[in-house]
Amino acid sequence: MTGSAGKVDLDRREVLAKLASAVFAGLVAPAVLGESAAPAEAATLPELPVLPPPQPEEDPLVRMMRDLQRALQKPVEQRRWVMVIDLCKCVGCHACTISCVVENKLPPGVVYRPVPEEELGTYPHVVRRFIPRPCMQCDRPPCVPVCPVNATWKRPDGIVVMDYEQCIGCRYCITACPYGARTFDFGDRYTKGTPGARPFLLGEEGAAVHETIPMFEYGQPRPRRDESSPIGNTRKCHFCLHRIERGLLPQCVVTCIGRATFFGDANDPESLVAELIARPNVMRLKEELGTEPKVYYLL
Amino acid sequence: MMRRVLYGVAILAVLFGLWGIYDRAAFGHHNAAYGSYVVWGLWVALYLFFNGIATGTFVFATLEYLFRVPIFARTGRLSLFLALITLGAGLLHIWLDLGRPERIWKAYLQPNFNSVMAQIVWGYTLFGLIILAMLAMSFRPQRYAGWLRILSAIGLFLALFLSGGVGALLGVQAARPFWHVGLFPVQFPFFSLASGAALLLLVYGLFDRAANEHRAQLLRTLAILTLVLQLIKLYFLWADYSQSLYGGMPQNVAPVQEVLFGRYWWAFWILQLFLGSLVPIVILLWPGLSTKPAWAALTGFLILVGFAAARANIVFPALAVSDLKQLIGAFHGARLQFHYFPSPMEWAVSIGISGLAGLAFLIAYDRLPITPKHVPEAPAR
Repeated sequence: MTGSAGKVDLDRREVLAKLASAVFAGLVAPAVLGESAAPAEAATLPELPVLPPPQPEEDPLVRMMRDLQRALQKPVEQRRWVMVIDLCKCVGCHACTISCVVENKLPPGVVYRPVPEEELGTYPHVVRRFIPRPCMQCDRPPCVPVCPVNATWKRPDGIVVMDYEQCIGCRYCITACPYGARTFDFGDRYTKGTPGARPFLLGEEGAAVHETIPMFEYGQPRPRRDESSPIGNTRKCHFCLHRIERGLLPQCVVTCIGRATFFGDANDPESLVAELIARPNVMRLKEELGTEPKVYYLL
Repeated sequence: MMRRVLYGVAILAVLFGLWGIYDRAAFGHHNAAYGSYVVWGLWVALYLFFNGIATGTFVFATLEYLFRVPIFARTGRLSLFLALITLGAGLLHIWLDLGRPERIWKAYLQPNFNSVMAQIVWGYTLFGLIILAMLAMSFRPQRYAGWLRILSAIGLFLALFLSGGVGALLGVQAARPFWHVGLFPVQFPFFSLASGAALLLLVYGLFDRAANEHRAQLLRTLAILTLVLQLIKLYFLWADYSQSLYGGMPQNVAPVQEVLFGRYWWAFWILQLFLGSLVPIVILLWPGLSTKPAWAALTGFLILVGFAAARANIVFPALAVSDLKQLIGAFHGARLQFHYFPSPMEWAVSIGISGLAGLAFLIAYDRLPITPKHVPEAPAR
């Protein structure tokens, strides 16, 4: 695409493609080379792509990436990550659910972002509502104080995280969450019990390879083999912290076909999410419990 | 004959349990039926059950060592031993329930004392040590009378703290309105006392069958205590359920309706209420019946069955009913269900642990001087 000044502007797809290939190479390389990745600390800023200047009708993703890059320049404790979900735009495709499963390589029984569906009214006046439910990253998380071994805590930037090496698997935090946002990794696999290698069929042996290559939650490669953590641990949505720390938006935000999910730093008055949560048609789930969720819904 | 039958049942239970333990050790939680929504199952319910009995029987031990109640003289050692084996059974259940049981040391070296669970882990450990110490000292009661009193007092406080604490473990969960009632830390100590009394009724009814006036009086006292505690238990149950149903809030009503009219209604109406409460009350009120050893044992057994069902009816419904009902169909999976019934592996482990506790008691009863007849009379003061 050529701009008015004759320069070639990067369009949205080119930006995302360059970013994706660079980040993917960076994420996979340590596991392939057998090195352990550094924990997801924001001590050093990632090399971030140069984004085009703001344009009136630009894709919200580009604006959110710009907001993200701005937030990453700040100290961690000055960021306040929030997610905003526009219920009028969500079409219930569940792409966010699946992309999250793929991104975090979630096993059976573990889901970070289901999309509950609700049918309202009676025929012929029926509507369906879809309410994506990630972890609320509550400011007053009931799941944190109940952990007997401090395996979960709220970061300064607002994300509630898990330490898989600390968790003893008592599941007390799961009972404490009023949103059902935590699930438990029982060590199950999708390919378990499927037919072995057959002619013209990939089979369990081949397919199981995908299940055992590493996932990169919290910036650490964790291949799924034997019974090591996070098997036997509680797991939850963490706003794709490993992506955020590398200048990428959470996978669900990027995947949403309706552009219904927004993410950013609410402490930044210029950010898209700050603009959205200032609207009057905003609500949060189970506000009466006083958990102060950081996921807002637009009605 | 009865002793042989009991030994046989206990051994079979242990053998069956060995298969369950092997499965648990080899395959982790793969063959357990609980999932990510109903995360706590049979083992947590039986942990509450056994530990409730442990704290309850300990209180009866203090009736000898601390309060010097004459009718309970020479019964303390047996009560302590029962507390020890039931505590072990309860803790074994909850240890096997952990996702990473090998990391239990973290609760001791890296605890978060804001967590009620961490508090009761430390509490039960201290409680177990006190029971062991008192059991050792009970073989020289004259020499250690002072220490027995001190440890009884500390242990009594711990027993109340722990039984109430288990109630608080559930009660602090604002996410679970069925649990989040002020009654929970209050009623659990009564449940513990009642289940402790029931176990003593069972043991004194089945064993130590030498007919003597002291034994008859003991059974009569235990029967009266049990009757009162049963009525208190029923009052708590009525208060809890009736308030929830009257208030009409869906998140309170749904679990109660699940208990009363759900798929496992029989666990409440038949096991908990009829067999576990009403039949025992009838026996206890029937003139002369409760002091007959066989009927006393039956009463104790039925009450214990009722309490086991009651613990399940506390744990499961709160987890099986979610006010985010739409979660059910949002993402499918065997672990993402709101329905739960223990798997064969879970039953096997629980039966095995129960059998092991029973076997330990039988062997100790036959081989160790733990029964009242082995405890010398205290010298007249």
